[in-house]
Amino acid sequence: MESELTQTIFNVAAQFNIPAIILGGLALPAYNVFRTTIDVDICVYIISQKGLDEFVVALKREDIETLQQPKIEHDLFTVFRHHSEAEIWLKPCDAFSWDQQMLEKIQHYVDNISVLSLEDYILTKLARADRSSIDIDDILQILINNYKNIDWKYLRFRIKWRDLMREFKDILQAFEIDINNEYRTIGKTIIDKFNGS
Amino acid sequence: MKDNKRTTIRITKADVERAFKKAEQFKRLLKKGRTKEQIFKDMLRLIEGGE
Repeated sequence: MESELTQTIFNVAAQFNIPAIILGGLALPAYNVFRTTIDVDICVYIISQKGLDEFVVALKREDIETLQQPKIEHDLFTVFRHHSEAEIWLKPCDAFSWDQQMLEKIQHYVDNISVLSLEDYILTKLARADRSSIDIDDILQILINNYKNIDWKYLRFRIKWRDLMREFKDILQAFEIDINNEYRTIGKTIIDKFNGS
Repeated sequence: MKDNKRTTIRITKADVERAFKKAEQFKRLLKKGRTKEQIFKDMLRLIEGGE
């Protein structure tokens, strides 16, 4: 892949052994879902202000600038180069931070770009403070196209962890809506798998 | 822990039907030979095209 903005950010993260993932709409194909997006959301795991400062300086050496003064306690900062920009998150979601299990479950995606586990990604959509109908639509499609491969026990653990059981059950309830036989069968399987986890 | 600013989840029959159809569209893309990696790179190229 050409060394465009996103690839360069991942290259810099790799130089510093900083775990980095793609979030948001760009990550969706990793979970067998597609929709258009204009946002580049990257999340890095950096634990100290010193590490963050070094990362920002290294980005600057690649002509990737920020107008902010990123602090380790911030959620995110914006970087840009030429006509492209990206948001660099310091936590996977505004509602929660990294933890060891989340880090260990990161999956390789493309080149040196990774993504969260499918279950943790669902949580970023469900837990975010400004959750929209697009997030719910994304979750529905992720469940439909991945129900055979989801670690349902882990997903249940994460949903309980963020106290989002009622919200997730609202989503599951949608699969009880009668559309046609094929969809009903898939929907019932999704509900059964979650209830059996 | 819970953020009450989040909107209530309301999903209609049309939402579910659309989700199933879009999910099928993605599977059709894969059957046509596109890979998830290619789809990602195409998306990225569109977003960063101006660089």
